[in-house]
Amino acid sequence: MSKTHRSEPSTRGFFGRIADHRLDYLYILPALGVMMLVIAYPIYYTVYLSFFRTPPSLAMQDKIFNGIDNYITILTAESFHEVTINTMVWTFWSTFMAMILGLGAALVLNREFVGRGVLRGLLLIPYVISAVAASYIWRWIYHSDFGVLGAILLQLGLIDDKLNLLDNVDLVLPSLIVVNVWKEFPFAMIMILAGLQTVPDQLLNAARVDGAGAFERFRHVTLPHLKGVLVITVLLLFVANLNHFTIPWIMTGGGPAGASDIWITQIYQIAFGRIRFGIASAYSVILFGVMVVIGYFYVKALTGDDDRRHG
Amino acid sequence: MAQVDFVNVDKSYGSFRAVKDVSFTVGDGEFVALVGPSGCGKTTTLNLIAGLLDLTGGEIRVSGKVINDLDPKDRDIAMVFQNYALYPNKTVAQNLGFPLRMRKVAKAEIKDKVEEAARLLDITHLLDRYPRELSGGQQQRVALGRALVRDPQVFLMDEPLSNLDAKLRVQMRAELKRFHQDLNATVIYVTHDQLEAMTMADKMAVMSGGVLQQYDAPERVFEEPANLFVASFVGSPAMNLLPATRVERDGTVFATGEGWELTLSDRNGAAARRSETDAIILGARHSSLALHETETSGAIPARIYTVEPTGDLTYAHVEVGDKTFVISVPPDRRIAADQPVWIGFDQNKLHLFDAKTEQRIAQD
Repeated sequence: MSKTHRSEPSTRGFFGRIADHRLDYLYILPALGVMMLVIAYPIYYTVYLSFFRTPPSLAMQDKIFNGIDNYITILTAESFHEVTINTMVWTFWSTFMAMILGLGAALVLNREFVGRGVLRGLLLIPYVISAVAASYIWRWIYHSDFGVLGAILLQLGLIDDKLNLLDNVDLVLPSLIVVNVWKEFPFAMIMILAGLQTVPDQLLNAARVDGAGAFERFRHVTLPHLKGVLVITVLLLFVANLNHFTIPWIMTGGGPAGASDIWITQIYQIAFGRIRFGIASAYSVILFGVMVVIGYFYVKALTGDDDRRHG
Repeated sequence: MAQVDFVNVDKSYGSFRAVKDVSFTVGDGEFVALVGPSGCGKTTTLNLIAGLLDLTGGEIRVSGKVINDLDPKDRDIAMVFQNYALYPNKTVAQNLGFPLRMRKVAKAEIKDKVEEAARLLDITHLLDRYPRELSGGQQQRVALGRALVRDPQVFLMDEPLSNLDAKLRVQMRAELKRFHQDLNATVIYVTHDQLEAMTMADKMAVMSGGVLQQYDAPERVFEEPANLFVASFVGSPAMNLLPATRVERDGTVFATGEGWELTLSDRNGAAARRSETDAIILGARHSSLALHETETSGAIPARIYTVEPTGDLTYAHVEVGDKTFVISVPPDRRIAADQPVWIGFDQNKLHLFDAKTEQRIAQD
């Protein structure tokens, strides 16, 4: 045991405080070690590689330093502009729609009715299905010749011709977003449901006695209470969507003609399709930068509540 | 302000009856305390008036109008909650104005009324603060203000003082009482603390197991408890209860137990005769019993278990057979544990209960 009491703020200097907590550092050392190995080193190596022109032979000793040329190549490429817009559309609409559906489903499930447990289980299914399996299933559902969706719409007389979703440059991205929203809205639902269950009954009752109707109770009591959960869920979904690879890659591979290409599929294509690790690394660094910014807001949202409580 | 009538009010959850056939009337401007241990149905009863729960049977009338099927917002009733239930994302002023805002009152009028309520409760300097920046007592006042601002027919209060520390509770108790007197408001107040009920209320409704046990003025409830439950619940320390057997010899009635016999006065004897069986229970408050250190006629033998000095009074815990009595004595009295003593009864302050029905036997 160290001599100074733990809860007392140490009056010693920076190194003194580290010495006071030397055991705490020891405890996190193994976790820190693994993190360094599997995260920190790859980050370092990716940043390092992003300043090199790498040979397609993968003989890395032959790489040539080319400064920020890789970044200039990416940022000036015509396709970058297009892919960035796709990425933003994909990320924004996926997150937005998943939140709306998740909120709606959570509000329904928060009420007491017969079959609530069954419904909650059913709604969770998309979330627990493997993304790869779901992508293949949806590819068949969307299929222009054999797809069940097209068949139903045709039968109902809602369309006159074969449904062509995944080969249509205008419809492919929205179609993928639908799949993605279907897959991830249960996550938002569960997060929001957990938040809803912490809304104090007494507060809702007080609002009822004060004369608030159902909508006003939602607006003045439930929504403010959910604010923290909503912010964190949006940020988590945003990060997940920005990084989401499986659905677009399996369903379209970024096609047709790059119409469903987003940053992450583009990076994969450059790295493992065209074997250009230097450019792919630079691309990854750009994505990483964006993620760091979002991560900053995430951590801030997560700890903000604590600060306010202690402040 | 208004009169509130409870007529055969019933509330069940499936097969569980939380409130059983409760009837009583709260007069216009009266302060009534619903009191009882946890789970006795008092809060359920309050929620039934507020409209937060639906009645299973009977009716509740406010100013003669049946309100059973009215929405809470249409009942013209305000409620103060145990945890204050202030809206955390709204300032004090917004909290106070919320019930008016929900009633579409004009902004200028809301402002006036909020300021008036704030002045009355001395919280004007807090209007721009958020609930989390207030102390418990201040939050309590805001909660009260939010009820007050609407000028409702009836105030409902659900254990409003139970979250405050002991000192503040005493202060707020006095303030609430004063508030009631100034406004001449009809107040229905739920508490598990019988002392709170005794000190504040015009009338007490003592509940247990969903049943209204007694509804009367506090002093009457204290002096003439209707049954064993009320006798042991109201008053602190609780009333001493001693099971006994009624025995009659030569026209005199005695109460006897293991190793003791007490001659009952004519009045108490007559009462004891009215017990259904010869099993009776004697009840005596701590202050009506005398502690003798030598054998005294009319006193029953006992032994000191422990002695608790509290400053003003000393409480002697005394073993009578397998029962323990609490008797108050002056603090300068020198008594020690295990000392043999004799307990003397004041027959004018003795309570008699029928052991079978658990009801009080009236002494007239």
